[in-house]
Amino acid sequence: MARYRRCAAALTALIVLGALAWGTGGPAGGQEILKIGAPLAATGADAREGALTKQGYDLWVETVNTRGGIKVGGTAYKAQILYYDDQSKPQISAELTDKLISQDHVSFLLGPYGSPATFADAAIAERYKIPMVESNGAARRIFQQGYKYIFGVLSPADEYASAMLKAAVSLRPRPETVAILSADDLFSLEVANAAKDWAEHNNLKVLYFQKYPVNTPDLSAALTSIKSLHPDVLIGSGHLQESLLIMKQAQTLAVNAKFFGFTVGPTTPDFAKSLGPAAEGVFASSQWTPDVKYSGPIFGSAQDWARLFQIRYGAVPDYHNAESSAGALTLQLAIEKAGSLDPQKVRDVLAALDVVTFYGRIKFNAEGLDVYKPMVAVQIQHGKVATVWPAEIASAKAVYPTPPWNARQ
Amino acid sequence: MNAAAQIALQNAVNGLLIGGTYATVAVGFSLVWGTLNVVNIAHGALVMLGAYVTYWLFSLYHIDPLLALPLTGAALFALGYPLQRFVINQVIRASFLITFLLTFGLDLLITNLALAAWTADIRSVTTSYSGWSLTAGPLALPVVRIASLGIAVLAAALLHLLMTGTRLGSAIRATASDLEAARLMGIPVAHVYALTFALAAATAGIAGGLISLSFPIYPAMGAGYTLVAFVVCVLGGLGSVPGALAGGLVLGLLQTYAAWWLGPNFDNIVAFSVLILVLLVRPAGLFGRARRFRG
Repeated sequence: MARYRRCAAALTALIVLGALAWGTGGPAGGQEILKIGAPLAATGADAREGALTKQGYDLWVETVNTRGGIKVGGTAYKAQILYYDDQSKPQISAELTDKLISQDHVSFLLGPYGSPATFADAAIAERYKIPMVESNGAARRIFQQGYKYIFGVLSPADEYASAMLKAAVSLRPRPETVAILSADDLFSLEVANAAKDWAEHNNLKVLYFQKYPVNTPDLSAALTSIKSLHPDVLIGSGHLQESLLIMKQAQTLAVNAKFFGFTVGPTTPDFAKSLGPAAEGVFASSQWTPDVKYSGPIFGSAQDWARLFQIRYGAVPDYHNAESSAGALTLQLAIEKAGSLDPQKVRDVLAALDVVTFYGRIKFNAEGLDVYKPMVAVQIQHGKVATVWPAEIASAKAVYPTPPWNARQ
Repeated sequence: MNAAAQIALQNAVNGLLIGGTYATVAVGFSLVWGTLNVVNIAHGALVMLGAYVTYWLFSLYHIDPLLALPLTGAALFALGYPLQRFVINQVIRASFLITFLLTFGLDLLITNLALAAWTADIRSVTTSYSGWSLTAGPLALPVVRIASLGIAVLAAALLHLLMTGTRLGSAIRATASDLEAARLMGIPVAHVYALTFALAAATAGIAGGLISLSFPIYPAMGAGYTLVAFVVCVLGGLGSVPGALAGGLVLGLLQTYAAWWLGPNFDNIVAFSVLILVLLVRPAGLFGRARRFRG
């Protein structure tokens, strides 16, 4: 009995000490709380990406709170994000945005996952004049509505596929033809159309351009047509499950493009894990990789942020994680610079902000879009994501052309 | 052979392969609808569970997904029996809408439990032979999917034999055609219903296992397959195994050729147009016999 009591005492001491150590610089008792709202998919088609977004947001919350909170004038506020599950449905996301503002009285918003939800939520934020910093909706259309309260920290949709095509034409022998397969949704189509435009203006012949329904169970007919056209480059603009499907069916139907590239998929760890050796050599574009050479406030360098993420979640971060942390960080920097919790003042600071962070340069054009941060192209090499373009930050040389399926092990 | 003919032939293969998958998904759905008069919205969720059982057996215990199929089927059988006996049987005499709502609720429940247990991560069963493909002239024949089609046909044949050649099959069919007479003849109706549902769940599990070999799996994957099963049943007619098989193959071929000629975005438009046409012209399905519904 005495032993248990000693044990319990030791444990209590440990917990108290731990709490004290954790608490140094952390929120003091009775600290004011700053509530920030985020409608975010926890269920439905975007649940996976929603979870990645939440990790990025939460890492920021934990970091800023252990460092004393958000400093506004003389007061330090403890950051708290109020999440509601929008079930991956834009109309529900918009209703929840309304609820966050009108019932929970949040002063600021962080974006949901995906362009359709961001598009819907931006209209609500605009109506209430509440600034929303978003990191996961890259469709240009969101920013073409004349809204003044929406700020996106990510490169716009047209960069997603063209970054890969720019990387492709830098390879030798220079590819000459391209096939494009796109999911039939706002974002994917915008990406695919931009890719088609870029290709046509840069001496790449577009042999095939088709869209398919999101979550389609089968793309063998499309891949059979593509196979007969022998394109050098195959670009898929869609979602993770579809990039997996395309690679699996390309393998079994022996579709031998020299360059397989996907806008979404290869940068998530699930991609290489699910496909195994068939994932080798696949290209993707990325908003960010830990190889980029940026450094800034709170999180330090890109490598520092990646290390912090790895410690906290035990996994290699993906760009969705990074851009989400960057979005939340941007909101913090704007609030602190404004020295006020007044939405209008923070909005004005956001519009004029120009700062370099671990994620890259954050500066918004008149539409609220960060067009000053370039995207990078990556390739899966030995099961890992390597940065291969632009050359000045590349961590590895691109392997090209991808060998035909029957020449692979 | 010219290029267009090659593509046409390859698409015939593609269509039959995806059609075989559709047939395996639909056969259990058709059995439950035809026998119990329950449109089981949770059928796709059972397919999803089958895919996950196969996935976990493969990744935790390194059991080959094809060898694991009997285990997957048995696991889903064991789940299906009590689900019908103790849950759906409670409202089986209520109106069609009530059972419809109940299975809709079950679908939400199962899908969200799976989401909570396994997260929304997208997974895939990749064996050493996953990427194998035979070449026959200009045709590529994906080995795993050919094997899946073979197993699908085999499972359908076994189910057909069970339905037509055994006492259980007779009991199921007797219960479906005249409930009162079956009960008077001493058939334990609640038990037969539960067995029927369990059999359907087992085929859904096997379908899920086969799907996990070729397609990405995630908790929300089931909804699309419920829809597919529904269309196949309308095309092929209710409650018959050969009907489900034929309906599945027709749907697969239709979608594949539509995707080829009009683009992949048109596969469902064409499939549903044909569905409406069939409902107008032959409401009992392309291969179904006219069936009297009891009021």
